[in-house]
Amino acid sequence: MSNAARPILEVVDLVKHYGGVRAVDGVSFSVDRGTITGLIGPNGAGKSTALNVIGGFLPPDGGRVLLDGDDVTGQPMHRLARRGLVRTFQMARVFGGLTAIENLLVAAPEQKGESARGIFEGKRFWRKQEGDAVERAREMLQAFGMEDKADEYARNLSGGQKRAVETMRALMTEPKLLLLDEPMAGLSPSLSRQLEDMFLKLTSDGLTLLLVEHSLDTVDRICSKVVVMAQGKILAEGRMTELRSRKEVQDAYVIG
Amino acid sequence: MGGWEYYLIVLLVYLGTDLLAAWGLNLEFGVTGVANLAYIVTIAAGAYTYAICTLGPPAASGNFQQYVGGFYLPFPVAVLAGVLAGAVVGILIGLTGLKRLRQDYQAIAMLVVSLMAATVVMADTPFLNGNAGLGLIPAPFSDQDPEIQRWLYVGIVAVACVIGYVLLRRFTTGPIGRTLRAVRDDEYAAAAIGKDIVVLRLVVQAAGGALGGASGALLAAFIGGWSPGAWAYVETLALLTAVIVGGMGSDRGVSIGTFVIAILVLQGVQFLPQISFRIGLREDLGWIVLGTVTILFIWFRPQGILPERRPKYGGSS
Repeated sequence: MSNAARPILEVVDLVKHYGGVRAVDGVSFSVDRGTITGLIGPNGAGKSTALNVIGGFLPPDGGRVLLDGDDVTGQPMHRLARRGLVRTFQMARVFGGLTAIENLLVAAPEQKGESARGIFEGKRFWRKQEGDAVERAREMLQAFGMEDKADEYARNLSGGQKRAVETMRALMTEPKLLLLDEPMAGLSPSLSRQLEDMFLKLTSDGLTLLLVEHSLDTVDRICSKVVVMAQGKILAEGRMTELRSRKEVQDAYVIG
Repeated sequence: MGGWEYYLIVLLVYLGTDLLAAWGLNLEFGVTGVANLAYIVTIAAGAYTYAICTLGPPAASGNFQQYVGGFYLPFPVAVLAGVLAGAVVGILIGLTGLKRLRQDYQAIAMLVVSLMAATVVMADTPFLNGNAGLGLIPAPFSDQDPEIQRWLYVGIVAVACVIGYVLLRRFTTGPIGRTLRAVRDDEYAAAAIGKDIVVLRLVVQAAGGALGGASGALLAAFIGGWSPGAWAYVETLALLTAVIVGGMGSDRGVSIGTFVIAILVLQGVQFLPQISFRIGLREDLGWIVLGTVTILFIWFRPQGILPERRPKYGGSS
């Protein structure tokens, strides 16, 4: 099978224990290139744990994760990020002592200013690349309606704004596959609709998204495929419209 | 040479060497978030390395003190060796904190490293002359008139500070400085956007350690002696206070903090009248003031005298 036809992410029989609790208990699914896949389920289903293991934040106790067909199981986050798999956190984590725009700039990939040559040669080596990154960061802040917050310290932003900064920061890395843990939580309804449109546009440009999300309306609107988890296992898989009517899904998850 | 002139020279050399050390600690702690309570060990590494490089073999001075090495190396080479030793020791200290330790545990681990290093040097006399420390450490320009020699030395320290500051700014400004501050604020989030925390930390430990090594080498050459008493862990606390009072992560702030703490407070107490029934009270007062100032700043002005600057990218708005 050629890489282009292959799913960008394949999760095979993934297991993660916490002591005696099997938080993720043999989970397998795949994510197709250029799509938005939703991972849903009731609280404690193991969605965030699964995302944490796939994203390299936690080491797995079993199973495999394939990115573009390559086995990346248990690789540390920074290496996955450089391969194009970038994740956000359930509780938004921003760099509080950096301004909003700096939070974005720091995520620009392969910065010359971070290299040994950049440190010793100084500005003339990295000025142009930095200028381009500033340009891109400003555009992104504008798209998120936060251009007036560019020079505000991230620690002073509201919860929703921090989450937006985290999402923008992840996008700044130019990822291939983005794992988003509840990207809409704390966002105003209008901003979250805007974000949905943005996600759809990004996937049409080639980005792939896997998101854990509680708002089933959002999932309904943007996800082409939905994976339902409950008690560490996969319960069902398919389109949201089909899943809503399935008995086992309704039992596990009182659908709103 | 008058007493005051000599005292001024001493203060200038102390200020210069303290600045180099405080900048290094600020790079590690204020900018990158590694609470290196073993920082003083990099300074000691620089001082001892300078000493054994410039001294001759122990037998040449009748074995009046014991140490390894003894190479009669010229001043610039010995200082560079001290810088290198500081960098290597800085990396070794950094390795103790790599095991995903939380910052507070990391600080404790490093404090223990500091105590262990001092204990080893004190106990192993053949290594670096133990508790008595090393003396007769050569200074440069010893063929000059003493007054000219001392002022020349102030010049050397000043040049070292200029070089040190320029190099420091290469790490604390621009994209690399931003990345280090990101690591300080949230290392997991930094890893999630592709930053290799281990490499970044070790690079910073090497750079900070190099500054510490330079500080120690220049100080040992000026004093002419170096003993475990000169690098007790409390000396790290003095530098830490300078960083907190000046403004964590702010190079200019920390420079001011160093002047306030190392010169105004720790030298200032020397001018208090000696209290006859309690010798040493003046020095103890210095430490009491230091501790109190640290607490007051953490409570009322955690950003320090001159806080980190907020960079402006907002453009048109």
